Amino acid sequence: MASLADVDKHRVTAVLVSHNGALWLPEVVAALTSQTRPIDLITAVDTGSEDASTKLLKSARIPFFSTDRETGFGQAVSLAVDKLPKAVEHEWIWLIHDDCAPAPTALAELLNAVDDRPQVVMVGPKLLGWHDRTHLLEAGISIAGNGARWTGLEPLEYDQGQHDGIHDVLSVSTAGALIRRDVFEELGGLDQNLALFRDDVDFGWRARTAGHSVIAATSAIAFHAQASATERRRIDVEGALLHRPLLLDRRNAAYVLLANSSWWMIPWIALQLFSSAIARALGYLLAKLPGYASDEILAFTTLILRPGKILEARKVRKKQRFVSARVVATYIPPRWSQLRLGTERLVESMRARVFPDNTSAAVSILDSVEDEDLLTPVKTIKWFSVFKRPEVIGFLAIAIISLVNSRNRFGAIVGGALPISPSGATDLWRTYFESWHQVGMGSSLATPPWVAVTAIASLAVLGKVQFLITTFFLVAPILIMWTGFLLLKKLTSNSWISIPAAFLYAISPVTIAAVSSGYIGTLILLIFVPLVAIILHDWLAIEKYSWRKIFAVSLLFTVLYAFTLMSFVIALVASVLVSIDNFKDYSSTQDKSVWFDRLKKRSALVFVPFLVNAPYSFEAVINPSRFLTEPGLRIPGGGSLAVLSGNPGGLGSVPLWLISPIVLVLVISLFSSTHARGIAEYGITALSLAVFVGSLSISTRGNEGAAKAWAGPVLSVVTLAAAAAGTVLLNSLRQTLILSHIHYRHVLAATLLFITAAYATLAVGYSLSTGADSAVQANRATVMPAFLSVETDTKILVLREVENTEDKKIQYYISRGRDISLGEPDVAPQQNASIAQAARSLIDGTGIASSKTLADYGIKYVYVKNPFKKEVIRSIDGLGGFTRTSATSLGVVWKVSQPTGRLLFVAESGERIVLEAGEFGARTFVPGPGTLILTETANRSWQVLQNGYRLDRINNELGLPTFKVTESGEISLLHDGTVRRGWLSLQIIFLSVVLVMALPAGRRKSEISEEELA
Amino acid sequence: MKFGRSLGFLAALVSALCIGALLSVAVTTKSYSESYPSVVCPPTIAGLTSQISLTSKKTPFQRLQNRTTKTAPVKVLRLPVNKDSLLFNSEGVAPVVWQSKASSWAGGAVCTGPATSQWFVGGTADITTRGRLIIINSGLSDAVVDIQSFTENGKQPLRTITVVSKNYQVIPTDSLAPGDKYLTVHVAPRSGRVNAFMIDEQGKGLSTLGGDLVNFAPTASKSLMIPAIPHQIKDRSAALPHTLRVLTPGDVDAIVTAEVLSADGVFVPVGLTSRSITAGIVTEFQLTPKITSAVLAVRITSTEPVVAAIKSTVTVSGRKDFVWSTSAPALVPLTIAISGLTPLISFAGDRINVSLDVTLNNGKVVRKTIKGTEIATWRAPDAARSFTITKVGPDTFAGALVSSVNGYGYFPIAPGSLLTKIELPDSNIRVLNP
Repeated sequence: MASLADVDKHRVTAVLVSHNGALWLPEVVAALTSQTRPIDLITAVDTGSEDASTKLLKSARIPFFSTDRETGFGQAVSLAVDKLPKAVEHEWIWLIHDDCAPAPTALAELLNAVDDRPQVVMVGPKLLGWHDRTHLLEAGISIAGNGARWTGLEPLEYDQGQHDGIHDVLSVSTAGALIRRDVFEELGGLDQNLALFRDDVDFGWRARTAGHSVIAATSAIAFHAQASATERRRIDVEGALLHRPLLLDRRNAAYVLLANSSWWMIPWIALQLFSSAIARALGYLLAKLPGYASDEILAFTTLILRPGKILEARKVRKKQRFVSARVVATYIPPRWSQLRLGTERLVESMRARVFPDNTSAAVSILDSVEDEDLLTPVKTIKWFSVFKRPEVIGFLAIAIISLVNSRNRFGAIVGGALPISPSGATDLWRTYFESWHQVGMGSSLATPPWVAVTAIASLAVLGKVQFLITTFFLVAPILIMWTGFLLLKKLTSNSWISIPAAFLYAISPVTIAAVSSGYIGTLILLIFVPLVAIILHDWLAIEKYSWRKIFAVSLLFTVLYAFTLMSFVIALVASVLVSIDNFKDYSSTQDKSVWFDRLKKRSALVFVPFLVNAPYSFEAVINPSRFLTEPGLRIPGGGSLAVLSGNPGGLGSVPLWLISPIVLVLVISLFSSTHARGIAEYGITALSLAVFVGSLSISTRGNEGAAKAWAGPVLSVVTLAAAAAGTVLLNSLRQTLILSHIHYRHVLAATLLFITAAYATLAVGYSLSTGADSAVQANRATVMPAFLSVETDTKILVLREVENTEDKKIQYYISRGRDISLGEPDVAPQQNASIAQAARSLIDGTGIASSKTLADYGIKYVYVKNPFKKEVIRSIDGLGGFTRTSATSLGVVWKVSQPTGRLLFVAESGERIVLEAGEFGARTFVPGPGTLILTETANRSWQVLQNGYRLDRINNELGLPTFKVTESGEISLLHDGTVRRGWLSLQIIFLSVVLVMALPAGRRKSEISEEELA
Repeated sequence: MKFGRSLGFLAALVSALCIGALLSVAVTTKSYSESYPSVVCPPTIAGLTSQISLTSKKTPFQRLQNRTTKTAPVKVLRLPVNKDSLLFNSEGVAPVVWQSKASSWAGGAVCTGPATSQWFVGGTADITTRGRLIIINSGLSDAVVDIQSFTENGKQPLRTITVVSKNYQVIPTDSLAPGDKYLTVHVAPRSGRVNAFMIDEQGKGLSTLGGDLVNFAPTASKSLMIPAIPHQIKDRSAALPHTLRVLTPGDVDAIVTAEVLSADGVFVPVGLTSRSITAGIVTEFQLTPKITSAVLAVRITSTEPVVAAIKSTVTVSGRKDFVWSTSAPALVPLTIAISGLTPLISFAGDRINVSLDVTLNNGKVVRKTIKGTEIATWRAPDAARSFTITKVGPDTFAGALVSSVNGYGYFPIAPGSLLTKIELPDSNIRVLNP
């Protein structure tokens, strides 16, 4: 070693701290020995290494001593310094990590920087990556208000000298830091409470407040592996709970801030630390790094629980402080720059995911052959040639057809299965969140999740639900064709086959019927089924799918289940059948792991969305007809024969004579030797299911009459399978037909094409003519006359002849003064038998007691909507207890003679009083002891409070909630929504878990490759 | 087998179809309530006497002005009515009310269920009239009834009255169109369970000119049949006169032809071929057919819907009376009570083929078949309690003529109440969707 006098006035003692650093130590030792400005003295401390570190030190002839494994970095340095000879003037301690190799000129440059800066007591080099030595790690460091380590650099910033120079900084990393020994000893060395991490910032901060300077001299360079921070080695220092570096780092960061900041800043800093810990924890949870998330929370908590350490540290710092703690303010990064950098990082990470860098090699300019370019004739693109492309023709055609077909649907559409949409998304959210629905006699059923999905979707159109629904029905055929095309173009490269097939899919009987009769669920399925087919095209080998993909597809299924649980039925049937098929494989191969892996993943795919749709999906188990329903009202389907032809039948469907080629294509494909056969098998299976579903007659809570189930959702799968099978068949058959002589295949193909063309022509004609006059139309007159909507808490028995495909049928329901709205039919309650009897008695003229029954249930009016049988009107006129209040062209209204309302009070004397009641809860006055009757469906969440006490609730003989009032006074009626809130919370938890599982996972630092890190 | 798997899929499809077909059979989607509405008979107003013919002593009835809804059996087959209008639950049998004024006139009418439209072609509103229109509300709610009168002077102002529940109002016909001679009244309830009856009684000073219960036609029609018109021969040379009253209630004039059907032949009387009838004007034509038959029928065809009736002058015990023969609906299987009436039933139609069962007072049933062309008559036996039309050919009409000591009457053979088959409603929230 060269002596001090040989070089300059400084004396440099290098203190090397090693801990399981055998990987990097050889290079570090080499770097130290090759310094252009020789080191005056080297000493090393080994903190209980279990690898070859000590051997390496010995072989390098570096004097060292060993300490406990739990010895922190600062403590190790202090022990080393204590063992050094007495301090001399201009003596510097050069702190060297065992994973930090300084460049040969590093020490020289550092000393050069401090030569004419006597106030500088700490100087650090520019730290570059160990593996990528152009990667700039640090050039001075600081700490953000939220405890983040602040370098002011972009992630993986390339070092081009852009930060070169000598900078005043808050601190520098201890890796390669040169510290004046006298000041080091004066300040008590590195804080031994900070065994690892942030001790550098703390020291710099203390040096600053002691009136000294800290600089970063970028002419000095060191290469740092950051082994502890990047989890390349185990952290064994004292206080490193569970050996977790992040936890230690966060706790130390909080310690530094709380120990060094001005006292009046402490509450604000504590709040910042806590909120940022929560935010980062959430971020880590989303990235599926729960360990890191817990580190964030634990770090803050463990520190706050032991405030004595901080108080002690603050006392020490107070003694050492010569200038205000605010002197460091200029080195603390402003909040906006933290925000800017954070945003840039987020955007960059998203960009990298969405648009990954193109790794293809750039074409050199030298490769171009200019002479050839000159010989190539200049092409002039005729703009109208665009219209010769099948894609343009097809999509233009479907757009025109949809536009003409929708000519009566510009405005707020309603009719068929589609109720009127509320004007704003707020109403949908209210319907979704509320625990009690004012539908019929009232209901506490769970609102289906599609209401929330629709409300979210309406944000795209500023919450205008009506506009959203109208637009959806307008563009649905285009979207159906588009997604169909996305699938079909994967089956053939010939657009002249895939585009007509996608067009046929978009004008299929099920599409036309769904648009005409207002089936949102079927349309959603028609749009998404091709995407599901694309994603799950190789689902027979589902074991190859990552769990992340399974959960991502589950999210898509969640949306489909939300709109119709028939998609659950389809998925379940498909999974069961394929699992049975897989079992055959298992029987032959005996590969249990694959069998169970497939079963697990299929089960997750089918049942996870079912869980996320709870409690709606759970209620379907109790009420199975929900598995066969869709959003909105139930319109009967056409039965199994109609379904067999690929036509769901019912209101708005194409006539049955207009036979589509769906079944024919599937049957032909079933006997094909191409890939079409496999597709046709799915199609025929789905068709069998559709036929079965179509033959079922179901009654639902809002519609007690049994009627054929609508098989549209299953037929959407059938139709897509037919389109796909037809595409594959034609694609493979085309060449054969061209090359071979005329035989039966030609005849078959010609027949199929003829039927297809005939169907397409007639279906388009139907769609443009009759289809436009379907049940779903814009700006229809409301059922309920406006004057019945004036009273807010009124129940009205509405009788009306409802038209189906074949006939008209008298039906009734209880209105709350207005027409039914989107989401409400799905939560309609089960019909009350007494009211049903009263309504029937009104019709057949035997209802002498109907008036009393209706009054008992709070039904104030009977409204017969015109046109209606006059005999029935006479019959109601003939019954006692009703007084006609109006007869207009809209219909006839009778008032129930007996006083009634939503909230009735029966005094002990038997006098019945109608109390004021709002639409939902009520705050009103009861005149004395008696019985309070709420004319709503019995539900245990109904509560009446008087003087802060809950009144006893029983259900009376009519099944109405009744409360015993013992004294006069003000009462509050409310429906306790705790159960609903509980279910919603559970749903949010389920959804969050699936979302997190579906998101790309973050990686622990230990999982990141060296190359990526630095 | 090369296509074994494919055939398996097809078999699954066929199986699903078969199961579906089996499931479809098991479902019915509609339920009905079948009942006969209760029928209402008119009250007996001062100076008149009434008897109601019934088929069973157990027929339950209610007095209309009794507010209770309790019913009691009639206990007799011919129920004398002192005052109140009565409501019978006769289960499809049409009771017949026979009203008379001693030594003055008599008339009959079928007690019917509530009607939504009743056309009364008959009566006058001039100085000679003592006629009355009786509006009965048998319902338990108040009824609002529109009364629209037509006369030779055209359409009269609409009169709307309210009849309180289980009550009736008597309106003198001269108040409907004071001074006008030819009256036709349309009663159309806006609300309520309403029946109307009309009495046409005429007198001059203290002398009576006869009277009758005017039966109603439910609607105007382009073709109608008046099946039973009494044709009394005063002496060998002349028969008592008839007057055809016609109204086309629409806005368009009608061309009307009246054809006489009698045992003497079928012919259109002179002057009754293609006669123009001004819309809204009640028009009368004299009808004096030179025939010897005691009963005739008149078929009226028109280019526009019309209502019509024929007033026939008759003499009973040397006293003058008149009968309003109104149009009858096509005959359908029905049962009509005729206890104590012994009516002469006149069937009219191109081909008459009617089978009927006559129930006698002793409970025996006598089966009869009436066959003929154009017109055929049959007199019910004295001891007949009721007769039931069991089988009838198309477009056959029938009316009954009854002669009593007080006068002569007519009523159409029509069901008092039709079997009402009402589909029972289901609860369906779809009623709240446009």
